[in-house]
Amino acid sequence: MQPQTIALTKVTLFKYTLFSLIFATVTLFTIILPAEYNIDPTGIGQALGLTVFNKVAADTTSSVSSQKVTEKIKAAVEVIEIIVPAHSGVEYKFTMAQHQKLSYQWVTSGTALYFDLHGEPEGDTTGYFESYAIATLNTMEGSFTTPFSGVHGWYWKNTADTPVIVQLTVKGDYVKHGLK
Amino acid sequence: MPNRLQQYCLLSLTILLALGLPIDVFAHGVDDNTRAFLQQNTGMQIIPFLYIGAKHMITGYDHLLFLVGVLFFLYRSRDVLLYVSMFTLGHSLTLLFGVIGDIQVNAYLIDAIIGLSVVYKGFDNLGGFKQLLGKSPNAKLAVLIFGLFHGFGLATKLQEFQLPADGLIANLIAFNIGVELGQFTALAFILLIINFWRTHNSFIKFATSTNCLLMSAGFMLMGYQLTGYFIN
Repeated sequence: MQPQTIALTKVTLFKYTLFSLIFATVTLFTIILPAEYNIDPTGIGQALGLTVFNKVAADTTSSVSSQKVTEKIKAAVEVIEIIVPAHSGVEYKFTMAQHQKLSYQWVTSGTALYFDLHGEPEGDTTGYFESYAIATLNTMEGSFTTPFSGVHGWYWKNTADTPVIVQLTVKGDYVKHGLK
Repeated sequence: MPNRLQQYCLLSLTILLALGLPIDVFAHGVDDNTRAFLQQNTGMQIIPFLYIGAKHMITGYDHLLFLVGVLFFLYRSRDVLLYVSMFTLGHSLTLLFGVIGDIQVNAYLIDAIIGLSVVYKGFDNLGGFKQLLGKSPNAKLAVLIFGLFHGFGLATKLQEFQLPADGLIANLIAFNIGVELGQFTALAFILLIINFWRTHNSFIKFATSTNCLLMSAGFMLMGYQLTGYFIN
């Protein structure tokens, strides 16, 4: 016996469809939306502890509104301009202790740049580094908490024929910063 | 025949694993050579794009759910190949066309339509269209059309990589072949499980609830993606 489809009466079909819709709606509003978007109309997501992802996400993703980020880094912000020459790469690093936080926002003069946001442990001679974000973008905002003490920052690579200026706005617990 | 198909699927899986494993290690090794390689992302990069394509398909649960729906009542290897080919034709067309033509489609809307495709297939498997309209819509055509949408989804995701024009066509074809490899790997697993399940009475017993849950998962995908569309 090889059924090609299921034959249900109209009433049963309606019941199954309604059930699938209700099940989907309940799951969406109690689990998926609280976890994914921090939309939690029932409060069940909060009760289940599913809204915790959003706190982490807000710290690391660039989807937070620029207003929010500006608010977050309003005190003691520093604006740095970095020129990335044509066909070359530049490293800009912040010296920070372990478990310190840096909020940042950067924008290029137009062109998207390949970048690698990473940290290098203090006193390391093996050339080891840990990447926090790698992409090709013309702007990004977010923050990171250092997993170890050392220098942490960006490597930007400009493959274009003209220099690109990166305007970097930071606020955080760093000791010093500069080109490396 | 099913045995031969299974063997073929397993073979694809083995090849894919053999291809995939060293690349995975390679991509995570952040030595200077690798870094230089990733930075100079120009020209032909066949193997990396193959890998990205295959990974996208294998980890794309929305594509997989649709495939489960399509395969659920397909018993003959010939039908499986035919339907999968229709799907492949559909998404290959829009993938190439979308990237080459630089067509930006909203990823949330495409993903919501992919969710709809899962709902459609679940409802169709429940005999819903037959009951309401007297007949089922042309299943092959539906698979082709949803294949077209799935391809736009792939194109949108691929464009996030900001591909350079140099070597674009070759990279795209590599990506598309990777998608096929990933799809065959996924198919191997789905077919093995479904074929095994079919030998048991529970297949018939739970066919209705399975498709009901499939439809429900489709609704969830739609709700999830549409919410994303409206809040972003």
